[in-house]
Formats: sequence, C-alpha cells, structure tokens
Amino acid sequence: MFVHIRDLQYRYSNSDHLTINKFNLTINKGEITTILGESGSGKSTLLRLIAGLEMPSKGNIMVGDDCMCSQSKFVQPERRGIGMVFQDYALFPHMTVSENIKFGLVKWSRKDKKARLQEVLELVNLEGYEKRYPYELSGGQQQRVALARALAPKPKLLLFDEPFSNLDADLQIKIREELRKILKTTGVTSIFVTHDQEDAQALADRIVILRGGEVSQNGTPEEIFGTDCDISDRIAVKPRVLSRT
Amino acid sequence: MNWIRNIKSNMNSWAILSIVFIILILLPNLSIIFQFFSEPNENWAHIREYMLNTYIKNSLILVVAVGVLSAIVGSSLAWIISAYQFPLRNFFQWGLILPLAIPPYIGAYTYHGIINYTGVIQTTLRNQFGVTVDQQYFDIMNMPGTIFIFVIFLFPYVFTITKAFLARQSTSLIENARLLGSNPWKIYFKIVLPLARTSIVAGVSLVILEVLNDYGVVKYYGIQTFTTAIFQTWFGLGDLASAIKLSGTLMLIILGLLIAERVLRGRKRFSFTTTKVKLLKPVQLKGVSKWVAFSYATTVFAVAFIIPFIQLIYWATLTYEQFFSEDLLSVIGNTIMVALIAATLITIMAIVISNFSRLHRGLTAKLFPKVTILGYSIPGAVIAVGIVTLFIGIDKFMYQNTLVSSYVLSTSIFMLVFAYVVRYLAVAYNSIESGFERIGTSFTEASRILGQNITKSFFKVDLKLIRGAIFGGFILAFIDILKELPLTLILRPFNFETLATNAFQYASNEMIHEAAVPSILIIIISAIAIYFFHHVLERE
Repeated sequence: MFVHIRDLQYRYSNSDHLTINKFNLTINKGEITTILGESGSGKSTLLRLIAGLEMPSKGNIMVGDDCMCSQSKFVQPERRGIGMVFQDYALFPHMTVSENIKFGLVKWSRKDKKARLQEVLELVNLEGYEKRYPYELSGGQQQRVALARALAPKPKLLLFDEPFSNLDADLQIKIREELRKILKTTGVTSIFVTHDQEDAQALADRIVILRGGEVSQNGTPEEIFGTDCDISDRIAVKPRVLSRT
Repeated sequence: MNWIRNIKSNMNSWAILSIVFIILILLPNLSIIFQFFSEPNENWAHIREYMLNTYIKNSLILVVAVGVLSAIVGSSLAWIISAYQFPLRNFFQWGLILPLAIPPYIGAYTYHGIINYTGVIQTTLRNQFGVTVDQQYFDIMNMPGTIFIFVIFLFPYVFTITKAFLARQSTSLIENARLLGSNPWKIYFKIVLPLARTSIVAGVSLVILEVLNDYGVVKYYGIQTFTTAIFQTWFGLGDLASAIKLSGTLMLIILGLLIAERVLRGRKRFSFTTTKVKLLKPVQLKGVSKWVAFSYATTVFAVAFIIPFIQLIYWATLTYEQFFSEDLLSVIGNTIMVALIAATLITIMAIVISNFSRLHRGLTAKLFPKVTILGYSIPGAVIAVGIVTLFIGIDKFMYQNTLVSSYVLSTSIFMLVFAYVVRYLAVAYNSIESGFERIGTSFTEASRILGQNITKSFFKVDLKLIRGAIFGGFILAFIDILKELPLTLILRPFNFETLATNAFQYASNEMIHEAAVPSILIIIISAIAIYFFHHVLERE
C-alpha cells in the first residue's frame, strides 16, 4: 500500500456539518484512482487535505513511508513532495513556460534543471514552447504545461482537481487518453477528482464514489459500472456541445 | 494534542509579525480605554455640565448635514457621468476627484480669504461698482460655511465609489430600465439610489470619519466640536485626563455610528454584483439637458477646485520669494522624510498582515483586518492622546528603572511616525488586500506544492503579481500623511514643521498669503497622485 488514509475528518470553520467524514482509502503504487462525486460532495476538499492545503480535524495520511498528517504531526505542503494540477492550472502569469516548469526544481543544478525541462516537455509534447507566456497558449496547451510543471520535481503522488472542466468536449477525450498514457509511462501514483463519470471510467484503475463526505462505493470501473456498456457508447449518447473555438 | 499541532503548524514568521503589529496598533487605543474609567477631576465635571452638550450637538449637526449633502452631490454627479455623454464628461470623470487634493483646512482659509472684507469679491464690488455689502451675508465662518467647506472638498469620496459601482455593476439593470421607458429622474430615484445604496453609504462613512477627524476647519471657523475640545482641554487647560475622557466619549459615539450603519443596512446588504463586468454605455444628451448637465458639473468643479486653486496661486505670486528660503526647503525635506518613512512601514505592515490573514483560517485571521481599520475610524486627536499617554508611560518606566537619563521616546520623531502608522495603516491595507483578492490563493498554493515555503512564495510569485496594488497603497498612505494636520500638530517634536503645519500656522496667524506656497505644494503633489491613480492605474 502506497497511500494510506485512515478515518479522515474535516469541518470548515463556519459550518456545522462535516465536509469529510470517516474517509478511508488505500492506493497501490502506480495506480490511478478517481474520486467521483457531485459538487458539494467534498471531493475537492479531500484533495486539498491530501496536498496539505487544509488541516484535517481528525485522521491520518501516509504517503510512501512518511506520515503526512496525524494527531500530533502536520507536514506543510511544501515539504510533502506531492504534485498537483489545479482546476484553473494556476500557471504563474509572469513566468514563461520554462520558468514555470523549473519553478519546482528547488536545489537542482542548472544542468539537471535543463535536462529535466526537456524531458517533461517531450513527455507532454510541447517542445519549442519554452519561451512562451501562459496567456500565449491555448487551454489544452496550458493544461499540459501545468502537468509538466507538476511532474517535473518527480512527485511521489500526483493530484488532479477537475482537470478537464476547462476544456472542450472533443479535446477532453483526446487529452484524457494521452494523460493516461503519460501517467502509465512515468508510473506515478495519481488521484483524480471529477464529477464526470466518463472521465472516471476512461482514466481510472480504481473509482471511489464520494457522497456527502463519505465513501459510498469503492472498486474498479467494471465493478462499479459493469462491463455491459462500452465507454464510447456513452459518449455518443450523451448530448454535448461540440464547438471548438 | 490536536491544538498543539494546529498552533505549531500555523506559527510562522508571518503570523508572529502580524501579531506583534496588531498589538502595537491596539496599544494606544487600549491606553485610552483603561484611563477612560479613571477618577474624574473638577474640569471634567465642568466640561460635562456646561460644554459636552455643545460638542455633541455641533459634531452631530456637522456629521448629518455633511453626510446628507455630500451623498446628494456625490451620487448625482456619479449618475450623470456614468450614464450620459455631454461636453467635457471624460475630463470630469477624474477631474471631479481633484477636490480631494485640497485638504479642507486649506480650502477653509482660502474661501475665507476670498469672501471676507479684504477679499477679492468685496474689493471688486467696492472699487469697481461702489457697492459696500452687508457683512452679515458675507460671513463664511459659521456652521453653514463649515458644512459648505466639508461638502465641496469631501464629496469626491461618495462620487468615486458610487461611480465605480454604477459603471461596472449595474449595466444590465439600467439598460433594462431604459428599454422599459423610464425617464432619467425615475431611473435615478427608483433604481440608481436603491441599488447604489451600499456604495453611497460606504462613501458617506468615509466623509463622516474625515469630518470627525478634522481640526483645521472647525478651529479656523470657530466651531466647537469634539476635536477642538480635546485640543483645548489638553493644551488650554493642560488637563490630559479630561482630554482622555473626551476621546473615550468620541470613540463610543463613533462605535455607535458604525454599529448603527451595520444595523441600518441589516439584511438589505445586498449589492447587485455580477462577475461579468459590462461597462455602462453613456447616452448622448441633447439640447438643454446637455447644457444643464455640463453646467452642474462645471459649477461643482469650479467651486471645489478651480476657484480656490487660482486664489492660492495668486497669493503665492505675492510671496514667491519664500520658495527660495531655507526654511521652506527644510519643511519640504521634513515632510517628505516622515511621509516616506511612515508610508514604507505602513506598506510593509499591511503586506504582512494581509498575507497572513488570507492564508490562514480561524478567528485571528478574520479579526486582524478589522483592527487595521480601527485607526482610520478614530480621529487623529484621539489617537494622539492615546499615543502620548502610552509613550509617556513607557518613558516613565524606563526613566525610573534608569534605563535612560531623560524622556527619549515622547520627545522624538518616532512618536509621530508611530501615530501615522496607526492612523493610516488601513489606507494601504485596503489597496493591498484587494490586490491579493484579485489574484486569489491558487498561485500561492501552486507555489507551495512545488516546494517553496510561504515566504519564498511571496517573493517569487505574489509580490510580482500585486506590485501595482502595493505601490498604490504606498502612494495613498504617503499622500494622506503629507496632508495630515491634527496628529502632526500635537505629536511633532519641538521646531519640527511639515507643509501642513506650516500652512495652517500661517493661516491661523492671519498671514494668509504666506500660507499659499506650502498649500499649493500639498495640492500639486496630491493632484499628481490622484491623476496618476485614476487615469493611469485604472486603465491597467
């Protein structure tokens, strides 16, 4: 077991109900887990708890052999070695693509930084874009930069917060496939948060369904949705705006 | 052991510095509150018996009259300029903010100089037309005159806030009303006023705080208010204890006003806001209405800026040799030096506190911004009382413990700078806080997840993204300090003059021509900053 979350509980200070309650999860190394839930189910909060951006009121989080959070310990996000791709990407607008990607390579030598930059750019298919600023890129390209930036420091665990919500539908399908390939190549353990069932099915080795801050189902995509229905059918059936600007 | 973990992981240099700064700001206020309950002396009994009612009455009359009138002038101008196109409209957009560059006390003695027996109006009437007027109608040094001065020099607070709201937030509602065929008056009274209520109230509260803070105007025009009373009991009677009691009473009144404002707004606190910013497109006015709008804006602009400014320039030409005197140079040097030091400290403190409170959850993080505003709501004279008692207390303690050989702190420039910081922290804080709000927290979070701690994230990411807001906050604080009068009068070290005290001193000694040069310097520096702000920064 690579990631181990036990009995996690969280409450926003101005609310009297628990946003996350009795949450348990174990993830194997290299596995892609999707947390599926409607808005308000607590899924984004869960991701922020794992990243260290929020402090749980109860529970433990272990990643690898390190305890990230317990009753007596709280590791700050900058010391967790966890990567995250934000919903709005949060690319630093005043830095170029290469500066963004090198940002997390703290204490790397210049040479290593340069080599790593080329490596991840190749991985996300963006060679030659080093000098661009984020606003000069399309939505899909921005997302790849965000992915490259998160992958660059070789995180133990990679988190994705609704990674496709800002993309057009057809782009979304393409990137989804690509992303799964990249993650499997690098072998990084990752957790996705989404409200989209298709995303979950297409990407995940394991799906966790979150309802009202508690796990309501946990299993492989087949166990949860069955095998009778092909993914591509669903996509075709579900009406969607397929405009691309 | 949860709470130990929570405290430990929330304690970083930003938190510790914020707590230290907040305590420093609270100290002078606490020292008033503590001494407010001390045993009253004879003076206080006398003041309460015979004078307190007058102070309360005059202060309230000023607050209510100036509040209502500046709401009317400010909101009507904001409406005309947001909704209609007429000659010089684009100039008035920022031109009508310029009156803020003239501190009311300078406006007060300028207008007195224009209107009195030897002023330009009466001499022209006498010499050119042989008319000698009844002095009764040409006296501005009374309550209506005071109200007039405050309204014309302070209405821009209401004007700017309301205009910003109307231009950005109300477009669809006003366009709908237009399509439904409402006439302009109906739109103004039925839609603009109720919708913009929150912004108008916000503007009016700033005006009221300025009125209560003022010492220059009411002193010069001989109106007895709380502020003049504090000065009088302190320096006239030499009775600091009673001055503290007056200050405490005034603080209570302001607290009451602030609570009343909250309660009045109550549930009606809605402000119609959309994230979609759509600019209101002004409608071209035609015929008479075009010229009515133009004349209204022009008249206000002339009265509130052009006329006093020209008069001051004329006086300055009579005394321009002053420009080359060493005295003036040292006054300019003093003014810029204290303003720079204090504004820099204010900016640093505002950055630290706002960065702390946006990155942390919990009660302290929510309370700190409220404390920064405290100093801005409390009149300068009251802050001065608090700071003097505090510093004398510290000095006494150090002297008795033979740490120092004389009272060091309470005779130094340090006390004045500290007072500026307490009073104007809110000015820079608001600007910096809104800068932080604009960028949100996700850049900082991204940076932290990529391995940079809060401090490094601040210097590498946040600072670069909110440079404009920080610079803006610094300039605003600098300008306010430059114009400041009551605090500076009380707390400056012996023989230390700033442009503001220099101008006020000359005017009080009836050397009105000599007051013109320092006044113009203040106005020009402030006007440049205002132009820069509303013309250059708003375009960005």
